[in-house]
Amino acid sequence: MNKLINFFKSFLLLELLKGMSVTGKYFFARHITVEYPEEKTPQSFRFRGLHAQRRYPNGEERCIGCKLCEAVCPALAIKIEVAERADGSRRTTQYDIDLTKCIFCGFCEESCPVDAIVETRVYEYHGEKRGDLYYTKEMLLAVGDKHEEQIAKDRAADAKYR
Amino acid sequence: MNFETILFYLFAAVTVFAALRVITARNPLHAVLFLVLAFVSSAGIWLLLEAEFLAITLVLVYVGAVMVLFLFVVMMLDINLEQLRKGFWQWLPVGAMLAALIVVQMVYVLGDKTTGAGMTAVRHAADYDNTKELGRLIYTDYVYPFELAAVLLLVAMVAAIALTFRRRRDTKTQDISKQVSVKRNDRVRIVSVPSVKKQEATESSAHVAE
Amino acid sequence: MMELLQTLQLLGQDLLGPAWLPVWTAVKIMIIILPIMGGVAYLTLAERKVLGFMQIRPGPNRVGYWGLLQPVADGLKLLTKEFIIPNGSNKFLFVAAPVLALTPALAAWAVVPFDDGMILADVNAGLLYLLAMTSLGVYGIIIAGWASNSKYAFLGALRSAAQIVSYELAMGFALVCVLLAAQSMNLGEIVRGQSHGTGMLGWYWIPLFPMFVVYFIAGVAETNRAPFDLAEGESEIVAGFHVEYSGMGFAIFFLAEYANMILIAAMTSVMFLGGWLNPFHGWPVLGAMTDAIPGLIWMLGKMSAMLFIFLWFRATFPRYRYDQLMRLGWKVFIPLTLIWVVVVAAWMQTPYWLW
Repeated sequence: MNKLINFFKSFLLLELLKGMSVTGKYFFARHITVEYPEEKTPQSFRFRGLHAQRRYPNGEERCIGCKLCEAVCPALAIKIEVAERADGSRRTTQYDIDLTKCIFCGFCEESCPVDAIVETRVYEYHGEKRGDLYYTKEMLLAVGDKHEEQIAKDRAADAKYR
Repeated sequence: MNFETILFYLFAAVTVFAALRVITARNPLHAVLFLVLAFVSSAGIWLLLEAEFLAITLVLVYVGAVMVLFLFVVMMLDINLEQLRKGFWQWLPVGAMLAALIVVQMVYVLGDKTTGAGMTAVRHAADYDNTKELGRLIYTDYVYPFELAAVLLLVAMVAAIALTFRRRRDTKTQDISKQVSVKRNDRVRIVSVPSVKKQEATESSAHVAE
Repeated sequence: MMELLQTLQLLGQDLLGPAWLPVWTAVKIMIIILPIMGGVAYLTLAERKVLGFMQIRPGPNRVGYWGLLQPVADGLKLLTKEFIIPNGSNKFLFVAAPVLALTPALAAWAVVPFDDGMILADVNAGLLYLLAMTSLGVYGIIIAGWASNSKYAFLGALRSAAQIVSYELAMGFALVCVLLAAQSMNLGEIVRGQSHGTGMLGWYWIPLFPMFVVYFIAGVAETNRAPFDLAEGESEIVAGFHVEYSGMGFAIFFLAEYANMILIAAMTSVMFLGGWLNPFHGWPVLGAMTDAIPGLIWMLGKMSAMLFIFLWFRATFPRYRYDQLMRLGWKVFIPLTLIWVVVVAAWMQTPYWLW
């Protein structure tokens, strides 16, 4: 008997109609696509994007060349050379991040004792030839100068959790 | 020489050419395709005779179904041309004789005034329905030969299936209708198991602590 | 529209005399073909839009307002791409295959009536002609698969050919029912045979409902559309018979597939949904309101509805397994259609046949 009912049910295509009603309902649903260049999804203040080197408000660069970030970097993307500056302070002469190697884990940022290396919210950057994504110290400092306001705000928002 | 005659000679030439290529083409697949061409152009000739039902049926049955299966088989065959050509000269006289016989028969039938075939096509009015006429003839005057032909075809079909169909005991074929008709309830049993057994969990941990 | 064509014809008659007939036929063919090509182009957009909407996303919307220029962009891209002929392929057949696929798909339109009398060739055996033309489309696919000299293409061609041949039978039987009901193979007569009842109640989809469903599903299978698109199953044989085609060759296969889809939609509307007839004709209020709408609009509306169901199927159902597909064709549809032929034939002998 059950078999007979199933037989007629399959001929009435009930299950297919059920499936079609589901897709038919979604046809009229409001689409949830974020249309990227015009719309953007909200970001967390912990967003890990393009790297930046920060400065103190007086213009002095923060990095003291402790090489903790270089040591912790799992992708070996950071290269640092250190020398004594004329005023006797320890400063980097070279601070390069190869963004093609970087996996954006954020360990460099966490390990930094002076909050010098940070990851910004910037993710819309590109390189057109090989080497374009090899960021040197000057480039990182420039990124930091450009986005300092946002970076400072994000650090302040995150401060109580650190 | 009106337009229709030109069309006829065009179709006839294509038919003859294609038929020749069927037996001369080196690649068997080309031969099959030329056979298709021959069918289509002879359907064209039938259309010129205002036998549109027959013409379209020719295309539908032979070109649309039979030749597709032919193509199927030919495509998958691994034909050794050398081997095929081996007995050509040996069997040529027999083949030639058969061909000559067919030609004689056709000349006899088509050339004879009394049979009336192949002479002039009878012109009909525009509302003359070839299909209806054909159906009427098949189911009245020629009903027995027609049914006989149908039975013959049925016998051939049954024989073909009987020859190729063997039920082997050791195959593990799936019964698709069974697979399809499976419902969720046949396969899945939902049991409700509480994720944490509250009372017993505390008891057993107390036991371990002791 | 019709008056314009009539005056144009008279003008040409005076101008060219006997040579006018072929020219006029060519003009009429263009009047049918060009909108179909445009329809095909925008059907691709409609498909992507409908699929998108059913997956809660907007579909293509970058080229032109609401993505309306997308087909143009696609066409241009395919036109300017290189047509690659693989090394081991049979060159003549490789180039001929797309044409062989497209020609029958377009030739079949000769007998489709768009409105009362709006038909290119009023053939008595129109139904058979349509069946013959749809069955010819398989050659393009088989030859493409064989001439490509590629395993994937060959497998795709075999699958699709076997599928088309087996579903043609069910389709043919479904049409036999229509033929019985209409007592004519002329498509115009079939539509006129549906005009006796009140509006859509007089159409053949009511007495022949199982055949309507079978015909439409077989049509989906015949055009190799989802869920019967095993011939081009991406997951197992890449793209099937047209893997090796690029540029315009691929575009022509695409055109053929979509032209076939539109053809099946047109045939379904003619056979079962009353072609150009007003669905509300003879109804109390709606009938008087809608009778002024020309038949062409109704015909196109019905075709669009059918095409929407094609796309709806694609958005809903997962692909069949091949043996399941063959079972559906041979063991479900063909027995069902055979039974219904007998049922309809018997029904027509009783006084309860109202159509």
